[in-house]
Amino acid sequence: MTMHPHSTPPHAAEGVLLSACDVVRTYRMGRVEVPVLKSASIDVKPGEWVAILGSSGSGKSTLLHLLGGLDRADSGTVTFRGEHVGGYSQSRLDRYRNEHIGFVFQFYHLLPELNVLENTLLPATIGIGRFEWMRRQGEIRDRARMLLERFGLSHRFRHRPAELSGGERQRVAIARALMHNPDVLLADEPTGNLDAKTGDTILDMIAEQHRAGLTVVMVTHDQWIAARADRTVHLVDGRVA
Amino acid sequence: MAVYTQLLVRRYLSTRIIPLIAVAAVGLCVALVVIVVSVMSGFLDNLRASGRTLMGDVVISYPVQGIPYYKEFIADVLKLPGAAAATPLVDTYGLLRMPYPGGPNKDVVTAQVWAIEPETFAQVTELDRTIWWKPAASPQEALAMAEDDPRRQQDLSGLYEDAKVLRDRATGRPGALLGMHVSIVNQRQRDGSYRPRNSMWWMPNHEITVTLVPISEKGTVSQSNSRVFKVVNEVMSGVFQVDKNRVFIPLKEGQELLRLDEAPIVDTTAVPDASGNYPVIGTSPARATQILVRAKEGVTPDELRVQVAEAYEQFYLQKSADPSVRTRPPATEYVSIMTWEQRLRDLIAPVEKERQMMRILFSITYLVCAGLILAIFWSIVSEKTRDIGILRAIGASRMGVLWIFLRYGLTIGMVGSGVGIALAWLVIRNINAIHMALGNDAPRWLYVTFFLLAAGSAALTVRALTRSRILSVLLWTVATLALVGIGTGLVLHRGFLIWDPAVYYFATIPSEMDWNNAWITAVGAIVFSVLGAAVPAARAADIDPVRALRYE
Ligand SMILES: Nc1ncnc2c1ncn2[C@@H]1O[C@H](COP(=O)(O)OP(=O)(O)OP(=O)(O)O)[C@@H](O)[C@H]1O
Ligand SMILES: [Mg+2]
Repeated sequence: MTMHPHSTPPHAAEGVLLSACDVVRTYRMGRVEVPVLKSASIDVKPGEWVAILGSSGSGKSTLLHLLGGLDRADSGTVTFRGEHVGGYSQSRLDRYRNEHIGFVFQFYHLLPELNVLENTLLPATIGIGRFEWMRRQGEIRDRARMLLERFGLSHRFRHRPAELSGGERQRVAIARALMHNPDVLLADEPTGNLDAKTGDTILDMIAEQHRAGLTVVMVTHDQWIAARADRTVHLVDGRVA
Repeated sequence: MAVYTQLLVRRYLSTRIIPLIAVAAVGLCVALVVIVVSVMSGFLDNLRASGRTLMGDVVISYPVQGIPYYKEFIADVLKLPGAAAATPLVDTYGLLRMPYPGGPNKDVVTAQVWAIEPETFAQVTELDRTIWWKPAASPQEALAMAEDDPRRQQDLSGLYEDAKVLRDRATGRPGALLGMHVSIVNQRQRDGSYRPRNSMWWMPNHEITVTLVPISEKGTVSQSNSRVFKVVNEVMSGVFQVDKNRVFIPLKEGQELLRLDEAPIVDTTAVPDASGNYPVIGTSPARATQILVRAKEGVTPDELRVQVAEAYEQFYLQKSADPSVRTRPPATEYVSIMTWEQRLRDLIAPVEKERQMMRILFSITYLVCAGLILAIFWSIVSEKTRDIGILRAIGASRMGVLWIFLRYGLTIGMVGSGVGIALAWLVIRNINAIHMALGNDAPRWLYVTFFLLAAGSAALTVRALTRSRILSVLLWTVATLALVGIGTGLVLHRGFLIWDPAVYYFATIPSEMDWNNAWITAVGAIVFSVLGAAVPAARAADIDPVRALRYE
């Protein structure tokens, strides 16, 4: 809600950047229907850092996936800059995830066969033709190196994820999420798998990006972590309170 | 296509062992199918080629009595539009007295004796090609021969010329051509060449005595006739039954020995003249028991057979109508006129049946290989489900993901097929050498090597034990046992020939690659690799990314 004083929002227009309105998501397990989100709504303004708090199994990740276009709601709408994300075609949705969203997961989700630099580059290589790649390769690699260096991974470019610590892996994952200059960073318990000290450095990095104008939606079940956000919403019984 | 697909395919291929296993599996499957099909079809091709090599395209035969006036009939045959060449021969069974062993008691063997006209016989069959003791056709061929090959050590051009005319040209004596395995002297070498077991008994230095038994018109046996022939050469047709039994002598000598030559007919009821001879009342014509005909290029044996049968009918009618002819040729229905395929039916039919069997076995092999490839790819791609979820989360499209695995399957399929074809080629090229090696006891260095490797492996097992690495202990123990097992197997291995030329028709295993089949098999393997990767990849691309991300 409250803007950080130094922030320069990427979208000068006031209002809502990303929102979910009365979204319903029900999982079907055999004959049983499990309603996870019953009627959840959330508005995220440009440049804002929102924390979604909720107990385990309350549907936090589900909501985040809906916002990021990784899943579709059974009913209700997700809008991005006033556009109806649920109405996107499959390829438009792929592009939406690639260009506007950066995901960070609890379990890092790096590709084990690629090294640190390649993992970071990956979003930039998606949706780009060979020709454009050849033209812009240098610029793209420079950006990946710059991000990794900023996150203290300059000596790790050629390492595989398996050779890194959890904190280092999460830093690579954040670098990857930021690679394409997304509008929104969707972080699903980014520190959930890390000790407190390492988690703090990760949160510091996110805070730094946020100060630079990045919109962040972060899921956590730790209210101390949520306290670092501008605003905290609670997910209880399938609704945002 | 997008850049990331290329990057991922490269990394998936280069950073893991499982693609190597997949390549090996595809390669072995391809090699297996290509080798067996090549050998089988080579076998059939050999059979077809040997038919022509041995007897031309069409054979007219009237055994024992023979066909009189055969020269006139051959002249008729040569006027046929489909006939390129024709040759008469007399075939019978006879006894050969061999030059060995030393001393007065010599080996005597039975043999199928073909009395031929060498010049025309060579036009119909490929006699020249089967003559063994002859100078190398080219300097390269000479160099390829082993140092101690008699064909390299001496000038054989004289023997070769003798063989072509079936005569010892120096003395004018009639010559005999022996099948390579008629004598016990020739020993087959690993490279397919021959050495005399004892150079003293090298057959072209010797004479043999051929004994034939004439049979009268009444079917009774007359006094046998013998004659000495100089062995002018030996022939190697590649068909073991033939090389083991057949002997060629000149037609004239054969006819004389069998009393099938031209002879005066005398009237024994008349009063003999002063010197005791009966008056001559005619001539009994010379006879041939077989006439071999070769078809012109582009004429099938069956077409030629029809023409020859008609010609024979004409010939018979004409001779029967001629009152001056005392000895009529046999009527058409008693004469067998067959293509070589019909004559070899006894041999070809079982091979055809075997081929049918093989086709069924191959369909099964193909299916097993296809299933194997599908299973391998299924497991590879399933393991990558979470990666697919990650890729989708950062914006990769379903088609992009599918494409990664299609390329992956395509690459493995192509590399595997290439490896398989190369392997098959190596094996097929050397199949006779491999076979001969199996036929011998294992060389000492080979099993010693295996035992040394086993010792090394045992040492590593002990080392792994001291470091208490369970997996290493397990793997090295298995390796040690396997190496000891192979070594022991080699020590115990007593040479045996799977493809015993005495049992099988041909002296060597066909070693020509069936390229048509190889390409088809390779393409099949590639298709199954791509399919095997595509099915699970399509499944993975279909499941929603959230589910894929949760995949463990
Ligand atoms: N694909 C699915 N199929 C069936 N049930 C699912 C599926 N995904 C999630 N669920 C269920 O939906 C509920 C909410 O899941 P979600 O992952 O959103 O919870 P969460 O709030 O993120 O929990 P946590 O804090 O443990 O990560 C859980 O009960 C989960 O079992
Ligand atoms: Mg969660």
